[in-house]
Amino acid sequence: MKKFLLNTVAFLFFSCLFYLVALFIWGRFAHSILKSNLDYKIGSTGYLYSRLSEVNNQKDLDVLFLGSSHAYRGFDTRIFSKYGYKTFNLGSSSQTPIQTKVLLNRYLKNLNPKTIVYEVYPASFTVDGVESSLDIIANDKNDFYSLEMALKINNIKTYNTLIYGFIMDLLGLNRSFYEPIRKANETYISGGFVEHELAYAKPQPFLQQRISIKQNQLQSFSEIVATIKRENIDLILVYAPIPKMKYASYDNNGYFDSIMKKYSDYHNFNEIISLNDTLHFYDSHHLNQLGVELFNKKMIEILINTASKTRNIGSTR
Amino acid sequence: MIFNSWNFALFLPIVFLQYWFATKGNLKLQNILLLVSSYFFYACWDWRFMFLLIFSTLLDYFTGIKIHEASKQKNKRWWLWLSISVNLGFLGVFKYYNFFAASFADGLSLIGFKANLGSLRLILPVGISFYTFHGLSYVIDIYKNRIKPEKNLVDYSVFVSFFPLLVAGPIERATHLLPQIQKKREFDYSKAVDGLRQILWGLFKKIVIADNCAEYANLIFNNSGDYSGSTLVLGALFFTFQIYGDFSGYSDIALGTARLFGIDLLRNFAFPYFSRDIAEFWRRWHISLSSWFKDYLYIPLGGSKGGMWIKIRNTFIIFLVSGFWHGANWTFIVWGALNAIYFLPLLLSNSNRHNLDSVAQGKLFPNLKELSFMVLTFGLTVFAWIFFRANTIAHAISYISEILSGSLFTIPNFEGVGKAFTTSVLVVIFVLVEWQGREGQYAIANLGQLRNLPIRWSLYALLLFSIGMFMPSVESPFVYFQF
Repeated sequence: MKKFLLNTVAFLFFSCLFYLVALFIWGRFAHSILKSNLDYKIGSTGYLYSRLSEVNNQKDLDVLFLGSSHAYRGFDTRIFSKYGYKTFNLGSSSQTPIQTKVLLNRYLKNLNPKTIVYEVYPASFTVDGVESSLDIIANDKNDFYSLEMALKINNIKTYNTLIYGFIMDLLGLNRSFYEPIRKANETYISGGFVEHELAYAKPQPFLQQRISIKQNQLQSFSEIVATIKRENIDLILVYAPIPKMKYASYDNNGYFDSIMKKYSDYHNFNEIISLNDTLHFYDSHHLNQLGVELFNKKMIEILINTASKTRNIGSTR
Repeated sequence: MIFNSWNFALFLPIVFLQYWFATKGNLKLQNILLLVSSYFFYACWDWRFMFLLIFSTLLDYFTGIKIHEASKQKNKRWWLWLSISVNLGFLGVFKYYNFFAASFADGLSLIGFKANLGSLRLILPVGISFYTFHGLSYVIDIYKNRIKPEKNLVDYSVFVSFFPLLVAGPIERATHLLPQIQKKREFDYSKAVDGLRQILWGLFKKIVIADNCAEYANLIFNNSGDYSGSTLVLGALFFTFQIYGDFSGYSDIALGTARLFGIDLLRNFAFPYFSRDIAEFWRRWHISLSSWFKDYLYIPLGGSKGGMWIKIRNTFIIFLVSGFWHGANWTFIVWGALNAIYFLPLLLSNSNRHNLDSVAQGKLFPNLKELSFMVLTFGLTVFAWIFFRANTIAHAISYISEILSGSLFTIPNFEGVGKAFTTSVLVVIFVLVEWQGREGQYAIANLGQLRNLPIRWSLYALLLFSIGMFMPSVESPFVYFQF
């Protein structure tokens, strides 16, 4: 029995080493068709690499933006700076609350924002968060928070990519990466915004769907809100505008609104501003630059109102 | 709790360590631990059905004793039929009520009557088909004076509920398993290592082969109207390997797990896709069920005694019942009938026991004759699986009609065809490994004889790595759990 247990432990140790070496070789040399459970792409869509390269130079912000592609394609930091706001956009592709929590844990202290505008998109609460976790693993340094995220997602693709990411970090093989500012029809704007070349969406029908929030996403979301409130930072939750047809395809928008309202000051822009499905969007759910400008101006009004409310509360005290 | 889950990966070592250390080799304590662990394992599915399992266990335990104690044959028979009717009654209600009610109503509507017997919203208790057959074989064996009843309730309960075989077999016999439960078990190093090796191979079969094939089999079968004949052939092939990888993978994990506790379960699969005729296939596929039907249905019906017509009738009966055992759907019955029809020429020519050994024994390749018979048998099996997998008979017929159309000669095309190519390559590698290991108990059993430790361990680690690299994101339950 003793021999059996010792050999089993030795084999497990051997297998772990084998797995690490094989994963590294596989990740470096195997064809992508063989890597369905390993997806490590630095500089993938969304410019997260460039954004995170900038984030360490930012501090004492007026506004920090968080959320999915609707955040980094929706909040143009240049517009906000025209109004005197020092902002940074920390959105990332398909960012779900599980990933938002990781980014906040890493950068909140340093960024020290007065206000956080957190873009909440129903789809971010209904997915497992694998896609976004891969984006963060490949484009940021990996630490304990990455491991915590992987355990929460509990998906083999996230585990493999994280192990590979740790190896890449350790060997420094990802340090020489350079991401160009302009890719195809997109440009990275300093401050985290990604500008898409002006284009117009073709209207399209959407299948009816219901918002069904995942419990682990909601739990992470609650933890994020608690952290932000603990730090005495103003939190504004924003449901960014999407095409009317897309918005109408959700049967239970009221349900989502009611949940969000419980957590903080919440603004559903689909009920606040009226945009045109073609003129103000470049695809099925992202604003084009014309839409971004209208959305951001309205957002600035809200920020001003929130600030004056806060001041009033402060003065009455 | 399923075998390919993290929960089981935690559960198994805990039970294993307690079994060999905490009980200090005390047989009574070991059996109590096995029983408690088995009930815990089962309760993880649905604790409510544990009462059904316990009731079924108690019923067969007491009827077994009553059959033995009864002095008159009439009383013995009464207790036997009590057990059979209650066991099959539960199975009938949970598994077949809706099928019979719907079929009866359909039958009446054919002659102009309208009937609505209503349907019951019942969940099928997992493993009911397996533990019911366990219990039945036990009481029938007592009735036939093959065995004496087990007086120790714990030992008998372990025989029915031993967790590796509880939910999907192998269907054990009291003559084989009970003596092992009653006997003091010593830890056997080579048996335990062999058990781990078999678990590893079972996991590979289930996770890498079956679950990947399932993705495409489900896609193609669920949308068969959208695809060409050539794609539908691929769909049938994917299902062929899904069902084999899934069920034989489960059996390997079950057998391997049992060996860790010093118990040998009945072999359930013996490389069925290398069979040279359908009779050989049925000696190699789900062996514990086939032999159950042979011993408790075919032979009592007269078996092969009494002339050719009786033989044919009995063969059809066991195949039809076997089909029906799999599920309450006409598709399973047709699948069974089809296999009986395949069997017929062998029966008529008295050649159903020609291929009793392994194909190409001691050789690297089969000869041309063996190869052609293997391909033919495999083709017939794939064809029959279409009925097994289809949702309805009409679905199966439309599926086959499309295969037989001109679109058979087009290039297969479906969503994810590129990724499916990777799965096909994995299946080819898997078939080659199975071929080279076909004379062992399972494909990689002979790896244990490899003297070079680093190479042996590297091969095991390679299997683990391939599981990590190719397991699908979504965990799939075992197909046979629904039976």
